[in-house]
Amino acid sequence: MKCHVPGPNVKVLARTVHALARFGDDLYLESLSDCILLRTLNASESAYAMVKLNKNFFSHFNHNYYCVDVEGLKCKISMKSALNAFKSPAHMDKQVENLEIKLDPHSSKLIFQLNCKHGIVKTHYVSILDCKAMQAVYTKDLVPNRITSSQRLLSEALGNFQCSDDQVTLEVTSESLIIKNFGDTPTDISRIIRSQVTIKPFEFSSYTIGTDTNITFTLKEFRALLGFAEGLNLPVQLHFEITGKPAVFVVHNGTTIEAHFVLATSKPDIGTQYTSQHTTNSERKRKENSNDNNISAKKVHLDEDLSNQFQEDSNLFNYIPNNMSQNNVRENINNVEKANSIDTNCDNIPASPTSRMRIASVFKRCFESTFDPRIIHGVVLAENSDSD
Amino acid sequence: MDDGTSQYYFTASMDSGKTLYNLLKSIQFQECAVFCAMNEGLKLTVEEGKCVQASAYIPADNFTEYHVRDDVDVLFKINISVLTECLNIFGANEDSSLKMYYRCEGSPLLLVLQPQSMINVMTDCEIATQIADSILELRDEDVPEVAKLVLKASAFMGLLGDLERSCDTIEINLSPEHPNVSIITYGMQDRSCIDVPKSSDMVQSFSCKQAIRLKYQLYHLRLIMKALAISSKVVLRSSSNGLLLIQLKLEKEDQRQMFTEFFILPLLDD
Amino acid sequence: MKFRAVMVDPGPMRELTHIVNTISKLSKECVLRLSDDKIYFIVSEDNSGPTPPVLWCEISQSNFFSEYQMIGIDEDHKDIYLGIVSASLAKSLVTLKTAKMLKIKLTKKQCPCLTLDIEMPSSISQQTRQVSHDIPVVVVPRKLWGEFNEPKIPQPDISIELPPLKQLRNTIDRMKTMSSDIIISASAEGRLTLQIKTDTAKVSTRFRGLNVESFEGPIDHSDSETESQTCEDISKICSCRIDAKKFSMFLNAEQISHNRTLCHIIHKRLVVLQLHTKENVDFQCFIMGIVY
Repeated sequence: MKCHVPGPNVKVLARTVHALARFGDDLYLESLSDCILLRTLNASESAYAMVKLNKNFFSHFNHNYYCVDVEGLKCKISMKSALNAFKSPAHMDKQVENLEIKLDPHSSKLIFQLNCKHGIVKTHYVSILDCKAMQAVYTKDLVPNRITSSQRLLSEALGNFQCSDDQVTLEVTSESLIIKNFGDTPTDISRIIRSQVTIKPFEFSSYTIGTDTNITFTLKEFRALLGFAEGLNLPVQLHFEITGKPAVFVVHNGTTIEAHFVLATSKPDIGTQYTSQHTTNSERKRKENSNDNNISAKKVHLDEDLSNQFQEDSNLFNYIPNNMSQNNVRENINNVEKANSIDTNCDNIPASPTSRMRIASVFKRCFESTFDPRIIHGVVLAENSDSD
Repeated sequence: MDDGTSQYYFTASMDSGKTLYNLLKSIQFQECAVFCAMNEGLKLTVEEGKCVQASAYIPADNFTEYHVRDDVDVLFKINISVLTECLNIFGANEDSSLKMYYRCEGSPLLLVLQPQSMINVMTDCEIATQIADSILELRDEDVPEVAKLVLKASAFMGLLGDLERSCDTIEINLSPEHPNVSIITYGMQDRSCIDVPKSSDMVQSFSCKQAIRLKYQLYHLRLIMKALAISSKVVLRSSSNGLLLIQLKLEKEDQRQMFTEFFILPLLDD
Repeated sequence: MKFRAVMVDPGPMRELTHIVNTISKLSKECVLRLSDDKIYFIVSEDNSGPTPPVLWCEISQSNFFSEYQMIGIDEDHKDIYLGIVSASLAKSLVTLKTAKMLKIKLTKKQCPCLTLDIEMPSSISQQTRQVSHDIPVVVVPRKLWGEFNEPKIPQPDISIELPPLKQLRNTIDRMKTMSSDIIISASAEGRLTLQIKTDTAKVSTRFRGLNVESFEGPIDHSDSETESQTCEDISKICSCRIDAKKFSMFLNAEQISHNRTLCHIIHKRLVVLQLHTKENVDFQCFIMGIVY
């Protein structure tokens, strides 16, 4: 793959990399015939970012440059290396005339060649750490709640919170949106300033709330995506459902660039002051325990939204940790059968652990280099994204 | 100057000590400096280990008054960070007039500062002096100069600033062939290379007799950043033994000039 | 106990922000004493007792608030004393400079709180946005009130008006990098000297022509090492060695729009820096002298 980024877009790409760097430590790059996808995932797997650069973002785009008939080149590089190539986004438009990116599948390097003013050429040879892709599954459309907002509105609102605040909760009704840094249940509040900002619907460009809800997510990544929107002077679209399900933020300019930021959400009362890492672990444990007991409450249809399976935990990558042995699985199957026999009137078909396993392996397979979405038969993993 | 000071070893005064302050700050990477007042001007030198030697040189015409006794050597060691704090005693936004006095060997260096915009205020400082350590004489007339590169200081600062700070080593390749000047840094698994061809309009002049590859500690090279920020022009000279001499010129509004100079020893190949 | 106050003017909002900011730089915690006519910000040393507090600041509420209601515990205990983290208060007031209105009230959430309701203008629309901060406070029990009384200090040996704090701040910030103590000397003739002395350097900044409010001399220097310029009468000079950092922290008060700052010195023992503004803000900082 070889492509040229014209001068003005180099700054955009730099800002993109800087925004992604605030999410995760590894950058996954995938080159398809009509676009390049940049993805990353944070360490606690509670935030995912994907930026799609369409063919028209580039002045020249040849994804088959080095070899023909290659489906799509995938690679993973360290985010630090990527940042090194895009040091100061603010100055790039004054210094850089264009950028050439080359990915040769046979060498082990991704090459960024910045052709700068005054005849200076800066070349960065970045080692490729791995050749696989990464993908998350989430629902963007057909959600009851959608808000479009200028990034300035949200940034202004966040200006009322402290740097030390870890998470924010959005309390959303059709009358108002309240952003606060605390949940409903008492935690140790004697040392913390509890702040909240109320925003009325008319302040947003569009505001559709089908289901009143509370969603809580980490501030760090929220600020990062707002920074990205600010750099490009674009509005932010927020698509979300209810507590526990991931919230999807979309920033796009309709032509060259489209970014999806997916943040896992949690219930506000689960350790509001804990870091997201902590939340994920405690939630995962709760999920395991509750699933053992409440299997009958779960749905099994895979063509429904998968995150229904995991009501309390909106971990995006719900693969089972390795310590779940085969014995446990057998136990769960037995439990399911017992549940079935006991409650024959129950309409809900329990989720069999084996199907959970399959879900896990589906996710797991996303990490494999040979993963092809078409392999999963009859399962709609995610609705087609609209082109809006 | 007062009559009482005519027997002093060294006296000098300046309308504004601000440029002197900035110049000295740019070589302040060690605690102590050697202060030398010569007829031609004032020179302060700082050394780090045996690898880097930096000097600030202020020609006598920068001073409104400048007097050094012919029959003595004015040479002593002084704490340069205390010296710069005193020069800045009224803050960065204030221009202060400066008078310096050095009575005789072993005396403290006396500074008197008066801010231009505040009346009825003055500061006097007595800074202890010690016997100067000997300074390495790095210039060797017998070793030929292999390459010389002249750039605008701001341009070189931009290039240096772009290098990844976490790298230990910087490799400079100079050659009569294209791309003439290459600056390479190696990261954990990556490599970055900046090519500066002599045709670039950033390059004011370039000469190179033979290709040479030089390695330095990046940290040493970055020591010149503060000096680059206040200077207008930078000249890099490399000798056949790898010694790098970087000369920087600062030009004030009144056309007077001040200089900083850095000698950097190369890293030896393993 | 009840407390509710409303502020709508931008001037007082800025002042309050600066005052709280300065206090937060001087001390992490402070005591808020609310009375009918004044609000006091009191900072004590940890071992509070006979030693005067580090900071005593009083503002007259009528110059700041358009509405002000309070009810104490009972007739004998009319005031309200609250312990608060000054940094929290400062952080919450950061946006006050552009606010339209501030309402402060004492509330009970899971614990007693000072709730700040701020109406912020929106850059998107003409209407305002509601922001609310709950800052946890501790109600100071009545038996401890005695520790937060107005300090009584003896008549100072000299009271001299300081030059603009901004000028002092530059110099003190440079001096504090060179020495941990600063010697402050004032003479009945209107001269003020700030001096540091270390093995490496002696630096003295001298101000002349300052206004002397009062002088209770002559000063006894028999046991000291005070130097003076040869033309000065040493019995008219009063000095004290104080911690440079504390002095520097007080100088953050230069943000407070003020009229004048007086420096009271009790020879070798105490320096009191008293800032007074047109709006009747009285800000006193007490720094104990260091005696070797």
